[in-house]
Amino acid sequence: MLAPSARNSTSSTSSSFATSSFTPVTRQNTIGSDGPRSVRASKRYSVTALYLSMSAHDKDIEIEDELAKVQKTLRDLKAKISSQSKKNFVLEKDVRYLDSRIALLIQNRMALEEQNEVASHFDESSELQEGTFPNDQKTQQYGNLFFLLQSEPRHIASLCRLVSMSEIDSLLQTVMFTIYGNQYESREEHLLLTMFQSVLSAQFDTTPEYSSLLRANTPVSRMMTTYTRRGPGQSYLKVVLAKQINNLIELKELNLEINPLKVYERMVKNVEEDTGTLPANMPRSVSAEEAAANPQVQAIIEPRLTMLMELANTFLATIIDNINETPYGIRWICKQIRSLTRRKYPDAKDQVVCTLIGGFFFLRFLNPAIVTPRSYMLIDNVPSEHPRRTLTLIAKMLQNLANKPSYSKEPYMAKLSPFVSNNKVRINKFLNDLCEVGDFYESLEMDNYVALSKKDLELNITLNEVYATHSLLEKHYKELGRDTEHLSIILEELGSAPPQLPRKENRAINLPLFSRWESAIDDISAALDITQEDVYFMEAKSIFVQLLRTLPPMSPAVRRPLNLRKIADTAATMKDMGMFRKGMRGLELLNQLKDLGVITDLDNYQILQEEVEQELVHLGSLKEKVMEESKKLDEVYKTIRDHNAYLVSQLETYKSYLHNVRSQSEGKQRSKQQKQHVLGPYKFTHQQLEKEGVIQKSNVPDNRRANIFFTITSPSPGTFVISLHYKGLHPQDPGPDITPGCLTIKVHKLTVVTLPGRNRGLLELDLKLDDLLEMQQNNHDELDLEYVQFNVPKVLALLNKRFARKKNW
Amino acid sequence: MQHRRREYNIVILGAGGVGKSCLTAQFVHNEWIESYDPTIEDSYRKVIDVDGRSCILEILDTAGTEQFTAMREIYMKTGQGFLLVYSITSLNTLTELSDLRDQILRIKEAESVPIVIVGNKSDLEEDRAVHSNRAIHLSEKWGRVPFYETSARKRQNVDEVFLDLCRQMMRADANSGWGSDGYGKEKPPGGKKPPKTSGGRQGRSRFCVIL
Repeated sequence: MLAPSARNSTSSTSSSFATSSFTPVTRQNTIGSDGPRSVRASKRYSVTALYLSMSAHDKDIEIEDELAKVQKTLRDLKAKISSQSKKNFVLEKDVRYLDSRIALLIQNRMALEEQNEVASHFDESSELQEGTFPNDQKTQQYGNLFFLLQSEPRHIASLCRLVSMSEIDSLLQTVMFTIYGNQYESREEHLLLTMFQSVLSAQFDTTPEYSSLLRANTPVSRMMTTYTRRGPGQSYLKVVLAKQINNLIELKELNLEINPLKVYERMVKNVEEDTGTLPANMPRSVSAEEAAANPQVQAIIEPRLTMLMELANTFLATIIDNINETPYGIRWICKQIRSLTRRKYPDAKDQVVCTLIGGFFFLRFLNPAIVTPRSYMLIDNVPSEHPRRTLTLIAKMLQNLANKPSYSKEPYMAKLSPFVSNNKVRINKFLNDLCEVGDFYESLEMDNYVALSKKDLELNITLNEVYATHSLLEKHYKELGRDTEHLSIILEELGSAPPQLPRKENRAINLPLFSRWESAIDDISAALDITQEDVYFMEAKSIFVQLLRTLPPMSPAVRRPLNLRKIADTAATMKDMGMFRKGMRGLELLNQLKDLGVITDLDNYQILQEEVEQELVHLGSLKEKVMEESKKLDEVYKTIRDHNAYLVSQLETYKSYLHNVRSQSEGKQRSKQQKQHVLGPYKFTHQQLEKEGVIQKSNVPDNRRANIFFTITSPSPGTFVISLHYKGLHPQDPGPDITPGCLTIKVHKLTVVTLPGRNRGLLELDLKLDDLLEMQQNNHDELDLEYVQFNVPKVLALLNKRFARKKNW
Repeated sequence: MQHRRREYNIVILGAGGVGKSCLTAQFVHNEWIESYDPTIEDSYRKVIDVDGRSCILEILDTAGTEQFTAMREIYMKTGQGFLLVYSITSLNTLTELSDLRDQILRIKEAESVPIVIVGNKSDLEEDRAVHSNRAIHLSEKWGRVPFYETSARKRQNVDEVFLDLCRQMMRADANSGWGSDGYGKEKPPGGKKPPKTSGGRQGRSRFCVIL
């Protein structure tokens, strides 16, 4: 029997988990501070979680209070983030592939077959159709296979170690975004982390010396990258980095270079430009030592050092202050690295351990985002030269802090050593604090029972993902190691893996998961080794909380102090069948608990009543938290969607380009057959284009802008004519403040020609899509039209929107 | 007027932990780095004498950590010669070089670019996982790109790889001086034997004709 005091102390722990299976993973960061819990206590909280999770799926009564609404919003948001990040992952893969091919296309070096291969990458950008397996037997076999893979992460862990680097991407896509794709579901998250641990520890076993640990690019590092790019990692980077990086890149002219050689070179260049000659005591090239000894160079560098250290300090302070925002999974990985290091190298000093944690946290997670913020969706454009260098220097300083810097590499960095020595203690404490998170093994065991009891586990997966996983298993099956008896039975039944389907024939399926070896749990108390009283008590608590949240707020039954029997009675007399059943069950449980001596009607079931009240208070504050979290995730979702839009527009660009190339090569074969479709002209005002960001800079005086407009025509696929017009002006007249005449502006291969003549613009620009793409490829963002400056990516987006010839290719 | 020295940009590429920084620090400062200090981006300068000509080498040592790959493109644009480094203790690090070379050629829009394949950590013979034949095979496949095994720790073949790369860059320079439009078009002169690897004593100079 439970002592009341014990129950109260555990209930505070349990209540923080009582929000059923969609408990935000990040909130579990608080586990660590609760101290070690007994296995039993953790099972008890799990039972509460189980009841609440079952009631969430319970069709009997629908709770519709405010909390339920915000929780639903949050749940939907999380589902959307999970599925959207998968889409982005796939798109990114396509864009990466096309990025690498497009240069060849530009040089017209691509063979026709390869063009077709490239074209096939566009097929999947449309939504996949739903489909099913050829027969029920297959559905069952695969359903069992994926249940096994999901709930026993060791198989996938072994597979990750065995596959080649070229196979890893598609495996990881299936693993991270499908098998464990619900990024906010604790069970899937925990299983994924278990898999991580197993791969990590294998790596520790096979690496001879710690200095080469976690350095190489391995399946583990690829997993870490992919993992850090899921929803929680993105939110975190946004919180700790986005604002500061954005502030910094605004200061385009802020030069904080401290490499004496570079500083000297710039100085020489400036002097030469200003005076035309170089003084005799200023040789063009000097050695690093000479540059460092130069007093002028030193004077330039001195204030920059101070500023860099201040900047790096702000970055560091934000990172340290936000330790509780760090995603649970990332912290848990840090913890594994620490314990694996201690186990494998018992003599390792704390410094060494911190170095390895820093090798993951800073080197793999934070610093890449600082150095290339654009690829982590933190900023919109590539930073210009000076801010880019400043960010690199800051990342280097942070990395120096985490590791033992060797100033023999770049002696000038030694000037920043005060930053390292002043913060060494702080950073080591931070890295150790990062590891202070609880484990989840006990709750995972429970979560697995919960999963089994739900009976409606499903996996949204594509046929090709299924077949690819099947074929990898088939290939590496013999090396998977021990405890693969069940796996081998299923693989045997399935036979050999079907080949990959063409993209058009690929289907999305809802695969019901089940296990033929484990049946759903009927007797939970036996399964979990807890007492019957515990089970009754938790179920009663859960039922009364549900009833209180469902009864109308004006009902006399909900008056304080709570009268549990009255609540149950009221519900049991309602017409609503769900409420009736819950009420009856409530009454029954009250009697059973009374008979067992857990509660007594003498004090109005005080113990239970207090816990119900506590739970309601907790749920009240939970609403605030849920809303706060929704707000944050909204941001993340927006970022992910923006990124998606960017990727899609990138694909669209490639698509029209390829279309262009192909119709040209077709044109060569049957030259005149092709119809010349002239599209446009479309008209755009100056204001419109400015708003859309197409015009990034305009030299047209404000009062004239209303009179300026542009037309864009596409005489043939892939070519565009942009003309600039001035309203109310005869073409022959020179425009006020705009002097035409024959001017030619060179932008790479583009030529702008102004030809005064009938109905033509003041200025006309012949554009080839190839050239625009090439400019974009070279990070050349400006398209100079003399009076206005266009932004190349935005022009591409505009052209795509207006002129995409989607159907006929 | 002082004769202007030639200046070359060298970029060191390769997977994480293969010893790119150790190799570079040995070459530039004659120092062996012991500590665990992953690189994000370091730059070095060294003036050397190649076959009687003085050259300034701007050397960029890069991050092998795959999370930093977004920076590579800029490096490849500025680089004129590339050391592609792997570790003889890990086969994966060798296979990763192919992607790097593809990317370089693509960005340079050339069929060949001055490159040296470097198999580092040759002092760790007991941990060897890559037979030199594999690298030689790769070298042949790429049109006999020079290949050396080095030991940054023992300073074996360190100068040789940089010198070899310098000669290639100088030759490319000279070729483009003839009016061909870039080193890309000119095939390396024939008759070059496939490079041999015999530990530390192999860095013989191969072509010395510099115009």
